[in-house]
Amino acid sequence: MRKYWMFAKSSMQISAAYSAWYWASMATVILKLLIMFYFWHAVYQNQSSIGQLTLKEMLTYIIVAMFVQGFVSGAGNELAREIKQGQIAVELMRPYHYLFKMIFMDFGQKASFFIRETIPMGLIAFFVIQINPPGSPLQLIFFLASAALGLWIGTFFDMLIGILAFWTVNIWGVQVLKEGVITFFSGALIPITLFPAWLQSISFALPSQAMVFSPVAIYTGQITGMDIYWTIAVQAIWAAALYILLNVLWNQAIKKVTIFGG
Amino acid sequence: MKRYAKLYYLFAKNHIKVMLEYRIDFLIGMVSVALQQAAGVFFLAVVFGHIQELNGWSFYELLFIYGIAASGRAIHHIFFDNLWTLGWQYIKPGQLDRLLIRPINPFFHVCADRLQQDGFGQLLIGWIILGTAIPHLHLSWGLFEFMMLIVLVISSGVIFVAINLFFASLSFWMTDSMPVLWAVFNLSDFAKYPLTIYHKGLQFFLTWIIPYGFTAFLPAAWFLDREGYASVAIKAPVTAAAAMTVAYLFWLLGLKNYSSTGS
Repeated sequence: MRKYWMFAKSSMQISAAYSAWYWASMATVILKLLIMFYFWHAVYQNQSSIGQLTLKEMLTYIIVAMFVQGFVSGAGNELAREIKQGQIAVELMRPYHYLFKMIFMDFGQKASFFIRETIPMGLIAFFVIQINPPGSPLQLIFFLASAALGLWIGTFFDMLIGILAFWTVNIWGVQVLKEGVITFFSGALIPITLFPAWLQSISFALPSQAMVFSPVAIYTGQITGMDIYWTIAVQAIWAAALYILLNVLWNQAIKKVTIFGG
Repeated sequence: MKRYAKLYYLFAKNHIKVMLEYRIDFLIGMVSVALQQAAGVFFLAVVFGHIQELNGWSFYELLFIYGIAASGRAIHHIFFDNLWTLGWQYIKPGQLDRLLIRPINPFFHVCADRLQQDGFGQLLIGWIILGTAIPHLHLSWGLFEFMMLIVLVISSGVIFVAINLFFASLSFWMTDSMPVLWAVFNLSDFAKYPLTIYHKGLQFFLTWIIPYGFTAFLPAAWFLDREGYASVAIKAPVTAAAAMTVAYLFWLLGLKNYSSTGS
């Protein structure tokens, strides 16, 4: 286990080294907050509520969703890159489980992302835009648990896409595709409950809603009572299912390496 | 000029040969970029399922803005996408030196090195969005309007290129300006919505400092509200030309300042 923590730590150090990227993403997040702020103010210009949500509740949902979305993907890109460049062949001979190494490297990056971006942005969100805090401490705990599950689902899903690099070269296209689908169907842009009914049923059948919508709806109180347990159970099932699928696909993919590498 | 046209043709032909080797990837790339656009349109459709208008602009008017942005961006994406890689593919590994000793304009060379096929998907989607929006807008279309649409979309594309060229040129001083380029490019997200929803200072910034306003909203507003935005028709191409000149001069300045990384 210790070696995996070392991976996490080293990737934290690496991501801390690129300060230009830090400032660039900071600037970009502020821009996003600004766009959201003005866009939703314009949306609410002629009405006080949309789908039972007030402007403040909507901004709370959108901004918390933006924070959660920042954590749901990552490991897949690096995985795809190493597959494409052939480093994977060497990696497979090393004394650790490659997929776990990638996951821990990714968590290291996410930890530094949290400290360097989520916290300062959270301060802006709470004190400048004044979004709502969670309703109760218990709600906060459920939110964190659900967000953690969402992060696992997102990570597994991302790696599933990354492994596709064994079969297709232009993984960039697949990644854009994945981002688009996740951004929309995870409820990161707008609460899924505002979708037309048919789109809602599609969304709830996909794992993406368990990445962002589930935790954020618990935070904002759109999911309450027994439904919270139900939601978390569904998330756990998705996480387990994707994990199994990931392993199956990985074992298939590794065979392919042996064939090529001879 | 003729020589450059011929060169571009040769570069593109080679690129297309490579592309055809990976037909599936080509299709995936096209479809993905198209779907990415569709996600934005879906989002607007959902929002407009609950409201009538956004700050006085209707759903189809917003689609129209989207369509112009997508078409303009596609021009930049297809032909000038390689500017993104100036820092890490040319300057950092010393590849630029190789281009500098050739008897070809280095700006042309960098751009011609890659034709980004995914951009065709974006262009197609841009046209589909425009084609969907236009019949709902009750505009009268004559030859003049049609020509204006082409001029404004090209201006939009040129402004995208100019802004990217300017910030990519920073790589001459900081080795790789990709983070800056990326942060600035994200500003174009503002232009997807009517500028009227933003604070006055922000509107000014997006019109005259980093002119993304001219890539989508202002050209669209020329069609939708000619009373208020009549002067855009001439301002947009002029701004595009001015922005491109400034960016190209900045690129030349960078090139003059450039000393190889030596690797």
